[in-house]
Amino acid sequence: MELKESYLRTMMLIRAFEQRAEELFALGKVHGTMHLSIGQEATAVGVSNALREGDYLLNTHRGHGHCLAWQGSDVNLMMAEFMGREAGYCRGRGGSMHIANVATNNLGANGIVGGGLPLAVGVGLSIKLRKTDQVCAVIFGDGASNEGAFHESMNMASIWKLPIIYVCENNQYAMSMAIKKSANVARISDRAVAYNVRGITVDGNEVAAVYDAIAEAAADCRAGRGPVLVECQTYRWRGHSKSDRQLYRTREELAEWQGRDPIPRYAKELGWSDAQVEDARAEANKRIDAAVAFAEASPEPDVKDVMEGVYA
Amino acid sequence: MREITYGEALREAMRQAMSNDPRVFLIGEDIGIYGGAFGVTAGLVNEFGEERVIDTPISEAAITGAVIGASLAGMRPIGEIQFMDFVTLSMEQLVLQAAKIRYMFGGNATVPMVLRMPGGSGTGAAAQHSESLENWFVHVPGLKVVMPSNPYDAKGLLLAALDDPNPVIFIEHKLLYKTKGPVPEEMYRVPLSQTKIAREGKHVTVIATSIMVGRSLEAAEKLKAEGIELEVVDPRTLNPLDEKPIFESVKKTGRVLIVHEAVGTGGYGGELAARIASNEAFDYLDAPIRRLTGLDVPIPYNRNLERAAVPQVDDIVREARKLAQGAY
Amino acid sequence: MKEVIMPKFGFTQESGELVRWIKQEGEAVKEGDPIAEVTTDKINMEIEAPASGTLSAISAREGDVIPVTQIIAWILKPGEAAPTGAVPSPAPQAASAETPSPAPLAAVLMATPVAQRAAQDLGVDLQKVRGSGAGGRITREDVENFANSQPSPALPDPRERATPAARRVAREENIGLGDVAGSGPHGRVQAGDVLAAASSAKQAAAPAQKPSAQTEDAFTALPMNAMRRTIAARLQKSAQDAPHVTFDADVDMSALETLRAELNKSAAKDEPKVSVTALLVKACAWALGRHPRINSQLDVDNNRILLMRAINIGMAVALEDGLIVPVIKDAPNKGLRKLAAEIADLGARAKQNKLKMDELSGGTFTISNLGMHEIDRFTAIINPPECAILAVGRAAQKFVPDAEGKPVARPIATLRLSADHRVIDGAVAALFMKDLRKAIENPGVMLS
Repeated sequence: MELKESYLRTMMLIRAFEQRAEELFALGKVHGTMHLSIGQEATAVGVSNALREGDYLLNTHRGHGHCLAWQGSDVNLMMAEFMGREAGYCRGRGGSMHIANVATNNLGANGIVGGGLPLAVGVGLSIKLRKTDQVCAVIFGDGASNEGAFHESMNMASIWKLPIIYVCENNQYAMSMAIKKSANVARISDRAVAYNVRGITVDGNEVAAVYDAIAEAAADCRAGRGPVLVECQTYRWRGHSKSDRQLYRTREELAEWQGRDPIPRYAKELGWSDAQVEDARAEANKRIDAAVAFAEASPEPDVKDVMEGVYA
Repeated sequence: MREITYGEALREAMRQAMSNDPRVFLIGEDIGIYGGAFGVTAGLVNEFGEERVIDTPISEAAITGAVIGASLAGMRPIGEIQFMDFVTLSMEQLVLQAAKIRYMFGGNATVPMVLRMPGGSGTGAAAQHSESLENWFVHVPGLKVVMPSNPYDAKGLLLAALDDPNPVIFIEHKLLYKTKGPVPEEMYRVPLSQTKIAREGKHVTVIATSIMVGRSLEAAEKLKAEGIELEVVDPRTLNPLDEKPIFESVKKTGRVLIVHEAVGTGGYGGELAARIASNEAFDYLDAPIRRLTGLDVPIPYNRNLERAAVPQVDDIVREARKLAQGAY
Repeated sequence: MKEVIMPKFGFTQESGELVRWIKQEGEAVKEGDPIAEVTTDKINMEIEAPASGTLSAISAREGDVIPVTQIIAWILKPGEAAPTGAVPSPAPQAASAETPSPAPLAAVLMATPVAQRAAQDLGVDLQKVRGSGAGGRITREDVENFANSQPSPALPDPRERATPAARRVAREENIGLGDVAGSGPHGRVQAGDVLAAASSAKQAAAPAQKPSAQTEDAFTALPMNAMRRTIAARLQKSAQDAPHVTFDADVDMSALETLRAELNKSAAKDEPKVSVTALLVKACAWALGRHPRINSQLDVDNNRILLMRAINIGMAVALEDGLIVPVIKDAPNKGLRKLAAEIADLGARAKQNKLKMDELSGGTFTISNLGMHEIDRFTAIINPPECAILAVGRAAQKFVPDAEGKPVARPIATLRLSADHRVIDGAVAALFMKDLRKAIENPGVMLS
């Protein structure tokens, strides 16, 4: 992977977005809950940049980072959707867990764990039938790999050699359930062998590692060699959602993973000074300021339009 | 006009659609070389190849997801669930994905899919292979629910469902596959959300779905001899429902008998009755609204019990006669 | 707190007389409760409480005549006190939407409008109710007391069972369900039972033989086309809804005839000729301008009489099997020749069925002329939504006394105005006809 400053800036933008989301929630400005991906920025940036325009993304409920990193994303529209405004990506109807930008083949975050896995089969089938060299990346977590849908999906993708990259963001926990307790395999990628699919595990906090693995998987897919499972080991710094008291993990464990923060790691690889990092951080925060201002100035959806969009 | 079976009509619709539009493909269990559990897709794999008539593993969730995902990515798939009973394994994908994606994405996506499935009892397949679950889907905004009652409607409605940009749950009846009727050879559409008056009459409005339409028409012939004229109304699309002809019919006759195979409690008949009773048609009711439905019981295996569990022609005759004669 | 004022019920009403207080000083009232009865010169009305609270500071006594919009009492909430000192009249209010429409004189039932509405709602026959109001007027309370003392037929007795269809037919046919024997289960009344009761009532009232009961060779059937059906429906409704009163003026047409001849003599060769009809239209337009009440429409739903600003005069034109009324828009502002040309053109096109929609609508007054068929006089039915129509008979030579009392022959035509008495009273119509006569017999006045 070629080192690029834009990757760092995107990670910082994601981090700033997530942190601001937390603040807004504390201020009572956000309805519902949120699933923050602080700590998982490298996976999002690595996946999106290793793919091409025209490729498909199926995302999880913890998907702000992937949405932001995806090509063509507009942080204003994301923030507006997050705050439930008419100007948001989904006209305020979807919210954090269902942000989509169908025009860029971002087929949406999904509120159901593993919900995107069967959908990926359909997208892959469509690519195959249309005979293009597009690829579908479906993001899912460690917990989702225990859903029946995961197994059905991998099996079908495998038998038909569908161009799907199964990206498992293993952040060690499915809500409060540690993956160590919920699966009797050392790695999620070990499950791929059951479907005769190539599986690989990488350090999800290192942009290059993720990038290279995804790029290689994409090449396999485009060449018709079938699906690949790429497991990205990472960690979420915050709880599952806002109502998580995190009784199931220790501060020490969190501190250890925070020591592997992808952002300073990558800044070091780029050779940036602390001052540069700070500048970039400030810039990211300013960008988020603007997005929040945009969102807060955007009108709420009109109640009388509540029934719009049910049917085409 | 030539007469073909309900199953042949469906097959013809699919064949013509696939010849006409490369985006259309079929996917389901045993639909290829086996020809489908009820023979509906027989021969199609020979004509269109395994790429477009796709046999799947037994994975209803993934099959349904495949249909949804493909339609999100530009295709027009027709999925088949082998028995309506198994759609229970597809529920998450249908209810939480297919039905809601358009709305959740602010109207920025469409899911133009069709999912076909045979429902209903009468083949001795017993409780887990004889379900009528249409009202579960009526209850989910974003889905369209269609139940053709005859070969002409089967072909026309399937082609219309394919044109429709929404997810359509297309519910066939096992006992109807071999029934014959006139079906034009060309491609034609029977519009969705268009209620049909299958038979005009002035004494009782009989609203029926799927196989009960034919049984109601038979009952109407029997009652004609007694001077009782039934008006048989076939909604064809259960949701979104074309209500107006129903209300007009009720205003004409003042007496309503709703007939469906599905279990009565929580069934579609309740929805119809409530709509009639809360519309201006209420002022024309000259008797209570009556429902004749499946018993609140799993479909039994024994042949006689199986028959007794759902409305038969004689049941419709009896109930319609009582209603017409003012017994209620 | 909310003030209670002497309300204004009519456009020209200036004061009202307080007939009686229904609620007394210090009584608790709910918004909408009737609290007093008042009368103007023609109608009795009830005042309803504009708010809930205690009726206080009553300043009008029974029998007092009070200017409209003056405060006569207050509705106070606990702890409030009515303002003391000079009681200002609040800004004039528009007549409240609650105001029931004045009783059509034709009914003459000596019942307050509120009482009439109550009678309708409760299914009470006003003929049976004794009035306790001023002058024997029937008040709402009288109606309610009567209803409570009788088994009210129109309200279904809770013990009675009747289907929704039966209740609808009972409402439509004005039959009391209690009078109908039910043939349904448990004696439930079915729609057919009510229909049977209605038709036997009708038969008892008027055993009219329906034409279709006769044998086919007794008649030739003419199907009613759309125009005939429309005429039938509209005119039936007009005759039914509007109490028609007629006013005749036998008018000397000689001045008009002379004027016509002069105008046409001095006309250029290709200038359109002035007709008597055009002059008549002009005269009517002039008179209507001076009597806007004749050029009005009744807005029943909102209890308003709409004085139409434009004067658009329709001319009834006979067709082969029907009639049609093309409209001359803005008659006062069109010159005589223009009027004449337009009248001729519309008449011709009417007969060819070539009129445009907007030429057939927007009329505010209609003239129907059967003089050419030697009809002396006739009564026309008002063309809704207008309130008046002028029927013109033939101008025939009649002997009338001249200034010395000697008989001279003059062309005299009978003009008969039919007016809707809900809107137009006799004096108003008379004054219009007086001016119309003036305009016709002395056309110079139109210049003034």
